[in-house]
Amino acid sequence: MSQFQLLGVFEDESALISAVKAARQQRLRIVEVYTPYAVHGLERVLGLRRSRLSLVCLIAGATGAIVKLWFEFWTMAIDWPVNVGGKPWNSLPAFVPVTFEVMVLFAGLSSVAALLIVAGLWPGKQPKLIHPRVTNDRLALLLEENDAAFDVGRVRRLLEDHGAVEVTERLTGEEVPA
Amino acid sequence: MGVNAAPLLALDHGAVRYFRAGARLSKTGGHTALACTQEHQSLTVPEKLRPAAGASRPIVRETTLEAARENGGVRSKEPPVPELWPPDHPFTTHHWAMVVDLNACNGCAACVVACQAENNIPVVGKDEMRRKREMHWMRIDRYYSGSPENPLVAHQPMFCQQCDNAPCETVCPVLATTHSDEGLNQMTYNRCIGTRYCANNCPYKVRHFNWFEYSREDRLANLVLNPDVTVRSRGVMEKCTFCVQRIQDAKIEAKRKGRPVHDGDIRTACQQTCPSKAIVFGDLNDKESEVARLMDNRRRYKVLEEINVKPGVGYLKIVRPEVAGGEEKENG
Amino acid sequence: MADVALRPPLVAGHKRLAEVTEDICRPMERWPGLAWWAAFVVAFSMLMLGVTAVTYEIATGIGTWGLNTTVGWAFGITNFVFWIGIGHAGTLISAILFLFRQRWRTGVNRAAEAMTLFAVMCAGIFPVIHLGRPWFAYWIFPYPNFRGSLWMNYRSPLAWDAFAISTYFIISATFWYVGLIPDLATVRDRANPGLRKKIFTILSFGWDGGYKTWNRYEMVYLLLAGLCTPLVVSVHTIVSWDFATAVIPGWHATIFPPYFVAGAIFSGMAMVLTLMIIARKVMGLEAYINKRHLDVMSKLIITTGSIVGLAYLTEFFTAQYGSNRYEQFVFLNRARGPFAWAYWTMVSCNVLTPQILWIRKIRNSWTLVFIITIFVNIGMWFERFVIIVTSLHRDYLPASWADYRPTSVEIATLIGSFGLFFTLFLLFCRVLPVIAIAEIKGVLKHGVQGEAH
Repeated sequence: MSQFQLLGVFEDESALISAVKAARQQRLRIVEVYTPYAVHGLERVLGLRRSRLSLVCLIAGATGAIVKLWFEFWTMAIDWPVNVGGKPWNSLPAFVPVTFEVMVLFAGLSSVAALLIVAGLWPGKQPKLIHPRVTNDRLALLLEENDAAFDVGRVRRLLEDHGAVEVTERLTGEEVPA
Repeated sequence: MGVNAAPLLALDHGAVRYFRAGARLSKTGGHTALACTQEHQSLTVPEKLRPAAGASRPIVRETTLEAARENGGVRSKEPPVPELWPPDHPFTTHHWAMVVDLNACNGCAACVVACQAENNIPVVGKDEMRRKREMHWMRIDRYYSGSPENPLVAHQPMFCQQCDNAPCETVCPVLATTHSDEGLNQMTYNRCIGTRYCANNCPYKVRHFNWFEYSREDRLANLVLNPDVTVRSRGVMEKCTFCVQRIQDAKIEAKRKGRPVHDGDIRTACQQTCPSKAIVFGDLNDKESEVARLMDNRRRYKVLEEINVKPGVGYLKIVRPEVAGGEEKENG
Repeated sequence: MADVALRPPLVAGHKRLAEVTEDICRPMERWPGLAWWAAFVVAFSMLMLGVTAVTYEIATGIGTWGLNTTVGWAFGITNFVFWIGIGHAGTLISAILFLFRQRWRTGVNRAAEAMTLFAVMCAGIFPVIHLGRPWFAYWIFPYPNFRGSLWMNYRSPLAWDAFAISTYFIISATFWYVGLIPDLATVRDRANPGLRKKIFTILSFGWDGGYKTWNRYEMVYLLLAGLCTPLVVSVHTIVSWDFATAVIPGWHATIFPPYFVAGAIFSGMAMVLTLMIIARKVMGLEAYINKRHLDVMSKLIITTGSIVGLAYLTEFFTAQYGSNRYEQFVFLNRARGPFAWAYWTMVSCNVLTPQILWIRKIRNSWTLVFIITIFVNIGMWFERFVIIVTSLHRDYLPASWADYRPTSVEIATLIGSFGLFFTLFLLFCRVLPVIAIAEIKGVLKHGVQGEAH
């Protein structure tokens, strides 16, 4: 069932932030905010929790390091031990640099891969732009009707009071003309 | 090097005469870069670069007869060097080693030629020689001391020291040079990718690199090649192997006869050719072998022993009637 | 943010958001001017010269270089370390300064990261082409094979190097690309329907500016910056271990890792400045790259240059104090031996020249700073040459001492690497946003009176 939505377009981050604050005070449902750059402080106003992608980074890095260290030990001391310069079979200090590099490689690539998966980004994906200038100079706030008390006129006024330069009505999933 | 001197020879009563009278030198006005392996000037530390800790290097050492004869010529036991690493690599079967008597060596370079013939070492020619790219696995280093009019000369055959803690092995990223459990520093030609890191890290600079494809297809000339030794291709490192083909041959022969390898069964090409028997090769694990006996000689030292690469080659000091500056003298 | 308000604005001229997009995207959408074409023709010719030299070298043998039995590394590895060092400044600016919240980095980080990538490409070529058998270079990585299975030697610093350089390239490229995605979307949405729009649609991964994505994106960007910081230090540390773990006097020194890292940042900063001073003029980005950048980066050059100078002194002191005759000789030989000219070139370019940047007037002159950065670039190339060649050419046994003289093939290869670098950089300036649009928009209000929040 498609829902009724209201899009407020802003020119300035402070206007957007105050509109978001007001919308949250009025318990309006904020679907998403679209910005051309990462507006700092907005995540607090929106009440977004800290991304857990750092956990992916930690786990992937630890896995990479452990697996690589074990692999180095296994190839050098167990699978085919070769006497190299009289060094001990288990030359642990010499195994550290590569372990570190592989840890960074795993952690970095996994974090980015996780971001792309969680955020649903992939090469060639057709973007669903909410407003044609949202990657240039417009910030947009998308609100959705959440209960019968959702008064379009009042919400529209709220957005305009906080400096929206443009307010449009739309339905969920509606295509935006390019 | 690279010049034919034969036209200057003359036959005299059926024998070759090596001298000639009436030769005159005149300026041609042209320039030719000489190709020689070692120049006199390059063999000593220049005066203006003498470090405070001493210019002489303990590379060729000299001693007196009295000092050499002390304690019956047997060296006193040295305290063992403390080790950081666990003893992961004991040499249980053989431990090949060599001792070179610098006192016996007269610098004739027959060993260099023998090695070249035995091990299919390419002749690289005058041009490569000028660029210091000689391929000989052995070289005769010459050090001079005393006055330039009447110098004392020391010859030192220098080749792969088969270090037990070989710096070259550690740095090879692809395991192309490794240590055998008989103490040999092995080169796996077909695994070598040619980083040349091993040669850089060799304190003796005895590793030689195939800068170009030196071998070529010549059915007649290639008949001189030793079928027991690989011909190396372009881009790989090579160096003295202690004539590993002869070692393997003797081991197989001994096994066939069901007896252990005796001292003297294996003679390296350089040892076999040395007219003054300055080179002795053998198994250190065989306490009765000549090489083990010479390792205990009072005159024995190892070149660059202080960097703890544990060379497998010992040298016997030169005995001089008198040595300036006391009992010991260092050249280099 | 009170302190920010006291400083001059990061972006001059009270730009509006749309103006930023316009300023940065415009050069990409125009047909390049004469200056660009002239530069491109020169760079591409240099690249072709290098390609010819490398083709000849690989076809004939590494003997076409001036190396010999004693000096097994010279130009090739010098170039390798030089380019790797150049690359480090990009990561420093993009990652380390990001973590330290140095907002001035925003104007220059994209170009600096691109410079890192291209420099690492240039660097990565040398260890491969300097091999005796470059076609077997992949043997340095462990992969299952039919030889038994024969792995590789994790005890070799060259193996560490292979892992470090590959990781560095992959992670830097990822970091750079992640930073590019929002800007690629901006370019996509400006483009008229057609091939250009299609290409940028594929490249921008369907980015729509949604704030939930921005929130995660910021986290990943922070994580990557956090990973790149130790990575960049580790990479040059490992490069220095190529020498420091060897037994050769002049190489075997524990001071090498910090000395190399400082040197890398030093040379990299110089190269960033060289490039930015040109790019600013040619591309009309005066508002974004300003005197503040010049000042801060000049100070970084003085600092790192002095650290490098201290390292030179420490090396000499250690050698003399250590009373190791081989070590002492190597350093005397550096200063007074056959390569003394290279040593003194290095000292005068790296230690003496940057000191005049203490004077504020000089630090504020685009021309003078440009000249000094050129000197630093030359000096840092010679530093690596001095370390590699003077240590090798006269080591333990005087009997094995040798000289070294580069051949035309080596010089052409070095020129070729500069050709590759500048070709890639010029192409980058044409096809991608040279300044991080989204980041600049984020700092637009910093330092603007009355707007500090």
